[in-house]
Amino acid sequence: MNTKIQATLAATLLASTLLAAPASAEVLALTGATVHPVSSDPIPDGTVLIEDGRITAVGSDIVAPPGARIIDLDGLHLYPGFVHPASQLGLREINSVAGTIDTAEMGSVNAALRAEVAFNHDSMLLPASVAGGILSAHVVPGGGLIQGSSAVLELDGWSWEEMVLKAPVGMHMEFPPAAVDDENNEDLARIEQVLDQARHHLRASEAARAGTAPAPMRNDQLEALAPLLRGEQPLFIRANRYDVIEKALDWAQDQGFEDLVLMTSPDVQYLAERLARDGIPVILQNVYALPSRRWEPYDMAFVAAARLAEAGVQFAISDDGNDAANARNLPFQAGTAAAHGLDKLSALRSVTLWPAQILGLGDELGSIEVGKRASLFAASGDPLEPMTRIERVWIAGAEYDLMRDPGRRAYERYRERNRQAQGR
Amino acid sequence: MIRQAILSAAVALFGLWSGLSHAQWTPDIEAWNSPQPEQVDAVVFRNATVWTADEAGVLENTDLLVRNGRIEAIGSELRAPRDAMEIDATGMHLTPGIIDAHSHSAILGGVNEASRISTADVRIRDVIDPESINIYRQLAGGVTAINLLHGSANAIGGQMAVIKMRWGAEPDELVIDTAPPGIKFALGENPKQSNWSNDTPRYPRTRQGVAQIIREKFQQAADYQRAMDDAPRGRAARDRVPPRPDHELEAIAEIINGERDVHSHAYRADEMLALMRIAEDFDFTIRTFQHVLEGYKIAPQMAEHGVGGSTFIDWWAFKYEARDAIAFNPALMNESGVLTGLHSDDSELARRMNLEAAKAVRYGGVDEHEALMMITANPARQLGIGDRTGRLAEGLDADLVLWNGHPLSVYSRVEQTWVDGRRYFDREADQRMREALAAEREQLMALVLAEGEASDSDEGASTDADDAPELLAQHPAHASYLTGYRPSELAYDEFCHAHEH
Repeated sequence: MNTKIQATLAATLLASTLLAAPASAEVLALTGATVHPVSSDPIPDGTVLIEDGRITAVGSDIVAPPGARIIDLDGLHLYPGFVHPASQLGLREINSVAGTIDTAEMGSVNAALRAEVAFNHDSMLLPASVAGGILSAHVVPGGGLIQGSSAVLELDGWSWEEMVLKAPVGMHMEFPPAAVDDENNEDLARIEQVLDQARHHLRASEAARAGTAPAPMRNDQLEALAPLLRGEQPLFIRANRYDVIEKALDWAQDQGFEDLVLMTSPDVQYLAERLARDGIPVILQNVYALPSRRWEPYDMAFVAAARLAEAGVQFAISDDGNDAANARNLPFQAGTAAAHGLDKLSALRSVTLWPAQILGLGDELGSIEVGKRASLFAASGDPLEPMTRIERVWIAGAEYDLMRDPGRRAYERYRERNRQAQGR
Repeated sequence: MIRQAILSAAVALFGLWSGLSHAQWTPDIEAWNSPQPEQVDAVVFRNATVWTADEAGVLENTDLLVRNGRIEAIGSELRAPRDAMEIDATGMHLTPGIIDAHSHSAILGGVNEASRISTADVRIRDVIDPESINIYRQLAGGVTAINLLHGSANAIGGQMAVIKMRWGAEPDELVIDTAPPGIKFALGENPKQSNWSNDTPRYPRTRQGVAQIIREKFQQAADYQRAMDDAPRGRAARDRVPPRPDHELEAIAEIINGERDVHSHAYRADEMLALMRIAEDFDFTIRTFQHVLEGYKIAPQMAEHGVGGSTFIDWWAFKYEARDAIAFNPALMNESGVLTGLHSDDSELARRMNLEAAKAVRYGGVDEHEALMMITANPARQLGIGDRTGRLAEGLDADLVLWNGHPLSVYSRVEQTWVDGRRYFDREADQRMREALAAEREQLMALVLAEGEASDSDEGASTDADDAPELLAQHPAHASYLTGYRPSELAYDEFCHAHEH
């Protein structure tokens, strides 16, 4: 066998072992790294065992079983993948090209829309996000008043169907800002009207099931609201301005929605006490925002997360969701919150464990713990630091080829080409 | 009556502040209401980690002495004048002020003059807003100089202005008088109007058309210059009609004469090559490509032409022409010998440019000190002000930033920002401002409420104006319907990127 063929064969073998999902019987042992479970203290020189896509052991004195494939990560740091709390990844590709945007449907009531069915599993933005440590995302709809349901997807797979971890996660609603000082606001009236219709429809359907009434006409929009009205699904309510948030919370409570998640802006800090008291979790959309008002302190948005933490609010840090291409910058938003008063561990949890818990996936994602999905990455250091490099990634136990990131691919191609052009 | 009370309260509070000594300088959110920070005769920073952005590299446990607005000495255990202000910088880091080579942050009126394909005659210098709150906020992020540019709606935009962040001074006093004149160009989707429509149909619609119109403008300007040069002077000019002055062609002629630098918005490799070749035909060098997203594809050609690259580190996919933008672009351009800088193009991003530099370490392994140079020394050189600012070296302007930790760390904050030896941002003073503003707000609110009650009893009837105090009293800090922003403070280049601000 000539050496060229040998090299090619070796490369092929290497690639196939790197890329193939581990056989179900195979045990993967990640050793030597400092393991950051996030839910507990870091473990220097720790070991993580992975079997069947799940974490089966974590600790410093774990012995890999015979036959386990051992991957030495000496000098690196293992973290659970970031869980993006609210993104439009998969629904949005090139912002200025309308044909690539599936974020906002026409009309004001779209309860029956499901975000996951338009999730482009081969979006070029996904490998870039994964290379930044974002391994799962809560994909949320936008536009209109009642916006449809969201889904959490893992960012690797051959179709959206196999990437969905949970769908629907909840019903999404934009609270109309004008309703704050207008008792006859048309948008809010429309929302209430639809909810009333859905309640009637639900009662009629239940009566039909009990055999006491004929079945009502099918109506997807109204039926999609049934899980919310039965209290089986949370309402994600979006409100940004201080007074709109307050009004939205009053309204949701009047409507009897107990399972609420507030998606909001840094203004939420002014309502921290109330949110803590009422036990309403918050998705803080954007630390990187200018102050809402001219006279507010320059760091008003930077300190919002620390204010929520001080008051005891359950929260996750998100970007504003519109810039899906830079979902990879999510951890830095948490880092900046830490520069301005949030403790570092809380900052890390706000983009891992806490979003997982708020999204109802606290047993699956967000920390390196036995039983959870083996979706984690090895980094050169603290992953909230922009200087840190993410070196290797596993999603559900399978190593992800980071060269799928278009940026890394172009980098390798053009670095070589530029060197040749300079005669080096 | 209300107005009178508010005014007198404001005057009383202002009097209180202006009586404070410089050590107690307290800014106000209104630049006009805030005394300019004093230029201290001598300041010495003790025992800092000094990032020089210069050949000296990073110096541990080092002192830096400022006298009369200039850096006088950098070294260990420096002797300072007896009355020098001493700042203990132990455990802190000192860097040059951040220079942002692409900003629209303090411009009154439209950033874009989108009517014609060339508006070389309009000048940003005429519309500087020296009191913009953005200036203060960017000082709080360590920015000391910015390049104010027109938008990218036209192939040949307007004349730019390089300013220092002398917040609240007269507009002309912000301009760096030694900065070479410059002009904004734009290539690609924006001048060819791919994502917007013009009421008046306008040439061009293609990248070829953009290149062609630029070439034609240069030809016209060269003809204009020749006509001006050839026009008879003195006695010979009698009874002759002189060439008609044309401010647009005059500005373009200055480019050909090497008296005005071109800073061109550009994304794709093809359009940048085309502009470099046009410039070479007219025998001048493009000074920088702005954004330069595909710079990595033609980095050797850029190095050969001598053009600098001023880029976003990781913005991409917001337009089709931004599809191939990669975060490794600065590393690749830098490696190829292109003078590389990072810019904001955004009033919010401008406040954390140190983290953009940090990403140059992440993507492509740029050395930390070199990464810092991408937001200090390199943009200063691109703008032609490198002999005055952008580095910490003896004789340069005292434009510097004191950080509470590693300047590229996400966990670090700016403690102080100095421009010309004046402390324009100080976190402690900022905290005092918050307290003062809160006290003022409380006082004014009390006055307004008292006034409201008085007028209620006077007139008996409630009006809209009377309802307002009630609303304010409920949410004192956050009157919902007012944000207080002036249009100039929300200005940006609406053609530059599709996302909303």
